[in-house]
Amino acid sequence: MLTYLSILICLPPLCAILALLVKMPNAALHWLHRLTATVFGATMVMLVASFDPTQPFHNDYFYIDALSVWVMVIITTLYVAASWTAKSYLSREEKCGVLKGEQLQTGRYFALMQMFCWTMFLVLIVNNLGLMWVAIEATTLISALLISYKFTKAALEATWKYIMVCSVGICLALLGTLILYYAQIQLMGSANALDWVYLKQHATALNPSLTKLALLFILIGYGTKAGMAPMHSWLPDAYAEAPSLTSGMLSGALCTCAIYVLLRNLVIILPTAGSELMSSMLLFFALLTVAIAVPFVVVQRDVKRILAYSSMENIGIMLAGVGVFTMFSLKAVLIHMYSHAMIKFVLFFMAGTIIQEYGTRNMMRIHGMFKDVPQTATFWLTGMLGILGLPPFGLFFSKFNILTAMFKSEHQIAGSILVVLLAGVLIGILYHGMRMLCDRSRARQPLGDLLQPVDIFVLLLLLLATCVVGAGFENITWLNHLLSQAVMIIGG
Amino acid sequence: MEYLVVALMCIVFLQTRFMELHRSTILLAVQSAIIAAACLVIGIAHGGGLHGFLPGILTIIVKVICIPFAILKVVRELKDEKEIMSDINVNYSTGVAAFVLGLSYMIVDRILPGFEGRDILATSMFMIMTGLALIVMRSRAIMQMIGMITMENGIYLLGLVMTEGLPIIIELGVFLDVLIAVVILVILTTRLRLNFQTTDTNVMQKLKG
Repeated sequence: MLTYLSILICLPPLCAILALLVKMPNAALHWLHRLTATVFGATMVMLVASFDPTQPFHNDYFYIDALSVWVMVIITTLYVAASWTAKSYLSREEKCGVLKGEQLQTGRYFALMQMFCWTMFLVLIVNNLGLMWVAIEATTLISALLISYKFTKAALEATWKYIMVCSVGICLALLGTLILYYAQIQLMGSANALDWVYLKQHATALNPSLTKLALLFILIGYGTKAGMAPMHSWLPDAYAEAPSLTSGMLSGALCTCAIYVLLRNLVIILPTAGSELMSSMLLFFALLTVAIAVPFVVVQRDVKRILAYSSMENIGIMLAGVGVFTMFSLKAVLIHMYSHAMIKFVLFFMAGTIIQEYGTRNMMRIHGMFKDVPQTATFWLTGMLGILGLPPFGLFFSKFNILTAMFKSEHQIAGSILVVLLAGVLIGILYHGMRMLCDRSRARQPLGDLLQPVDIFVLLLLLLATCVVGAGFENITWLNHLLSQAVMIIGG
Repeated sequence: MEYLVVALMCIVFLQTRFMELHRSTILLAVQSAIIAAACLVIGIAHGGGLHGFLPGILTIIVKVICIPFAILKVVRELKDEKEIMSDINVNYSTGVAAFVLGLSYMIVDRILPGFEGRDILATSMFMIMTGLALIVMRSRAIMQMIGMITMENGIYLLGLVMTEGLPIIIELGVFLDVLIAVVILVILTTRLRLNFQTTDTNVMQKLKG
C-alpha cells in the first residue's frame, strides 16, 4: 500500500516540474500529461484492487478507508479523462484564437492541472484534520491560478472574487478546527493533535458546547468551499471563466473534496453536538442553495453559467442528503457525488466545444445544433438528460433515493419544496437546451463538428459508467461492500 | 504580554485609519512583528526548544519580511495609478473596529467566562472581525489583501492562546499556504493593474447573474 501511495504522491509534482522547466514541443507535453495521468490511474486501480474495505490503511500521516477510496476513484477518473481530452481541447482553443500570445503556455496549464489534482489527492489521504485544512487551502490557491489562466478582465474578476470569498470561508473553517483542537486538549492533552482516527475513538467525550461552536464554523467554512448559498457568489463566475476542462474538475472533483472534508469533520463532531442542529442547518442551506439557483437557471443566457447554477442545484441536493443523515441517504449522496462529477465533466466539456464551434457563449445565438453539428448535439442532449436526473443515468437513482430518504425521515416539507424546485431547474435547462438543439439554424454558422474520436470515446465511457454505477451499485458486490463500509464510517 | 496586547490593539485601530498603501503595509509588518513577539514569549514560557522558537522565527521570516516585501514591491509599481477614491470614509471603519472590540469582549465573557487569556482572546477576535471589515469596506486590492492577512494573524493568535500553537507540521503547512496566497494575490494585483489600469476592485463589475 505504501509503495502505491508513494508513487501516487510523487508522480504529479514530478510531471509538473518537467512540464514547467524542460522546453518541450506541445505534442511531447500532451503525451507526458496523458502518460502521467494514465500511470496514476493504473496505480490507483492496483491500490483499489489490493484494498480491503473493512481494513483501513493507517500510519502516522496517512489514512485510507472506504470513504477516501471512493472519493479517490471519482477524482482519478476525472483526472484521467481530463488529461486524455486536453489535447483536442487545447489545440482547438489555439485554432479558435481564444488562447493567444503569452497565454499559449501549454506547459503552465499542464503543470497547474497536475498540481491541482495532486492537492486534491492529498486532501483524501491525510489523517489529520489540520493537514486536511492545509490541503484544501492549497487546492483553492492552485485552482485560482487555473481560473485566471487566460488573464482576461472577466477571468481576473472571477479569480479575485474566488480567492477573497473562499479564503475568508476557509479561515473560518480553520477557526472551527482550532476550537476542535482546544476541545481535544481540554480532554486529553496535546498528544496526537487533530489525528482523525484518535479523535474518532474519543469523539463521545469531547465538550459538547465546544463541538457545537466548532460545527458552526466548520459548516460555514467548508460549505463556502463547496458552494453553499449564501456564500456561493464566487461559484458561477469561477466556473464560467475557467477553461472548460478546469470547470469540469472544479465542479466535479473540488466540490466533492469539500463535502468529503465536511463529512470527516462531522464524524468527530456529531456524537457530542447531536445531529439536530446539523440537520436543520444543512437542510435550510441546501434548500436555499437550490432555490437561489432556480431563477438564474431559467433566465440564463450564458452556456457555462447555466451549468454552474446547475452545479449549485446538485450541491444543494448533496447537502440535503447529508442533512438527513441516515444510512440510506448517505449512500445516495456518495452515488450522487460520482454521477454528478462524471456528467458535469461531460457537460462542461461539451459547453467548451460548443463555444469553440459557434464562437459565442450566448445561448440565444445558437440554434439548430442537431442539423449542423449532430455529434456535439447528441452528447449535449445526453449530458442534459443526465444532469436533470432522467433514467437510465446515475443521477436519477441518487436523486430519487435522497428524496425518498427525506420523506422517510420526517422531512416531508423540505422534500416537497425540493421537488418543486427541481422541477423549476428541469424546465429551465430543458427549455434552453432544446432551443439550442432543435430550432432552425439562423445567423451563426458553426465551424463544424469539432469532437475527436478520443473525446467521443472518453465521454461515452464516463456516461456509461454513471449508468452502470447508479443503477447497479447494489448488484455489484464489491462496490456495494465499499459503499456500505464508507457509509458505516460516516454514520457510525 | 499585556503590553503586546495593547500595542496590537492600537496597531489594528491605526490600520483602519490609514488609506495610503505604503504606510499600511509597514503597519502590517509591525503587526506581524508583535504577533511574532507574542509567539516567542509564549514559546519561552513553555520551555523553549525547537517547537517553542520555530513558529516565532517562521512568523518573522514569512509575515514580517517576505509578505510586506512582496506587497511593497507591487505598491512601488503602482505610482501612476488612476486615483479612484471610492473607499468608505475612514471614520466608519474605525467606528466599526471600536464596536467590534466591545463585541469581542462580550463574546469572550459569554462563551469562556474566567479564561485566563481573556484579553488576548478578545484581541484576536477583534483582529479577525476587523480584518473582515477591512476586506468588505476597502475596495483597493492591496487593502483587501492587508485585511485578509490581519484576519489570518487574528486566527493565528487565537490558536496560540487557546492551544499553545498547533503541531509543527500543520503550522508549517499554514505558513506555506499564507505565503503562496500572498504570492498569487500579488500576481493577480499586477495583472489587475495591467488590464484595468487600476487596482480598485470596484471597476470589476462585469460578471453578474
